[in-house]
Amino acid sequence: MSGLVATLKGICSEREGRLGLAFTCLILVFALAGPLVSPDPNVIDVKARFAAPGLAHLLGTDNLGRDLLARTSAGTRYALTLAVMIVVISSVIGSLIGIVAGIAGGWVDRAVTAVFDIVNAFPPLILAFALIALYGKGSATFVLLVTVVFIPQFGRMARARAQTLRNLSFIEAERMLAVHPVTIVVRHYLPNVAGPIIVLASMNLPVVIAFEASLSFLGFGVQPPKSSLGTLIKDGFISINQSWWPTVASALVLAIATLGATLLGEALRRVIDPKTAGVR
Amino acid sequence: MTDAISISQAQLRFGETAALDGVSLAIPNGSCFGIVGESGSGKTTLMRAVLGLQKLDRGEIRILGKPLLHGRAALKERAGFIQPIFQDPAASLSPRSRIRTLMDEVGTVLREPLAATHERLHVILNRLGLPPGVVDKYPHEISGGQARRVAIARALLMKPSILIADEPTAGLDVSVQGDLLNLLQDIRRSQHITLVIISHNLAIVRLIAENAAVMRAGKVVEAGEVGSLFGSPQDAYTRELLAAWPSVSAAK
Repeated sequence: MSGLVATLKGICSEREGRLGLAFTCLILVFALAGPLVSPDPNVIDVKARFAAPGLAHLLGTDNLGRDLLARTSAGTRYALTLAVMIVVISSVIGSLIGIVAGIAGGWVDRAVTAVFDIVNAFPPLILAFALIALYGKGSATFVLLVTVVFIPQFGRMARARAQTLRNLSFIEAERMLAVHPVTIVVRHYLPNVAGPIIVLASMNLPVVIAFEASLSFLGFGVQPPKSSLGTLIKDGFISINQSWWPTVASALVLAIATLGATLLGEALRRVIDPKTAGVR
Repeated sequence: MTDAISISQAQLRFGETAALDGVSLAIPNGSCFGIVGESGSGKTTLMRAVLGLQKLDRGEIRILGKPLLHGRAALKERAGFIQPIFQDPAASLSPRSRIRTLMDEVGTVLREPLAATHERLHVILNRLGLPPGVVDKYPHEISGGQARRVAIARALLMKPSILIADEPTAGLDVSVQGDLLNLLQDIRRSQHITLVIISHNLAIVRLIAENAAVMRAGKVVEAGEVGSLFGSPQDAYTRELLAAWPSVSAAK
């Protein structure tokens, strides 16, 4: 608990950190509180189409008269859920594969590194199109895609840390006591690999949010009537001559979400892993 | 009587460097044996080979008469009778585990009820002059001297019959050094442990060991009973080493 408090204090010690934390909290509250203050995001009210922000619709309405506050909130919730899910799955799988490769060395290590290289050789967007062609559009394809793209990033970092740890006295001391290898990995490797992995995970959150928005913008992400920040921007963009408000509202939310997560990730890196952060 | 450790013709190269160049040694059971030599002489490599942390290119190591094997089953068996105390004991304690967790791990390995482990630990901590509260701390919260004692306590908890200490007094101030050596000596005598002290410090080896070997460039240049080894050294290198230690010569 004291570690959490110390981390928060460290994040708040600089302006960027405070800003990142504030933006992130704002976006979280926006995503979670949306359904409480706003009507159903899919209710169509053609009479109220392209309504300007007002008391009835705080962020106005879109081309079908749907409430934009409700739709951006739902889109944000969707993006955050996907981002957290993907980052958690890929960091856990990546760390375990990386640690095993780092400890085992030899052909296991070479094989894992080769697979990582192959995955990284594909530009994510091309890989996305290939997976969409194979499995169709949808959240599941997106989760699979980004998880596969991220695993090597986490894997490489965990592997490098594990290689360093492997030769440290405390790991050798554990081995000399014949402590079970699984216990050694869980109790002595994982906590010592966790710092940089958490930092990388937090830096990857905005990447997922932006990537999801871009795929949805291109029409490969979430399908209507569900809302995503990318589809909201695209729909607003199509009807920008009638109303500029939908585009600005959803783009602003996307900007605050990615900026907040990026600044928070940077601040977290400064606190947890000062060596890799910029010189201060 | 079987030797605690017997090494014959151990050879190990790291690239061009011969870390061990035909080392043969016999360390009698229950004795205190010193291995001395300058940095890079192969002392620590030899220790790592004996612990099974480093495979030899050639040669054989026997622990209590049994050939040293690699692999988990062999390691598990060996853990019960040979334990190291690493050069930097603070680094040999996992930084993100409480000392209690590290001690409990030993109980788990020995398949012993935790209460029994705690009981034995209590006795050992007492013996080493460590407060019982030390187990609730993290390794970075205790002093260097305490960390060394904690590392010794953890090794002793394993009930080993051979203890290998690499530079056991490095980084300690002189008064603590003496206490620690006396403690190791006491433990060795009361528990009939074979104690191997690896050090570049001739004075401590002379103080505590019965037999010693002098290493240089991966070879044992001279070995024997401490009195004669340091009293009338046969090898030029041993004489050189002794001359470099005025305190040792003055003590004669």
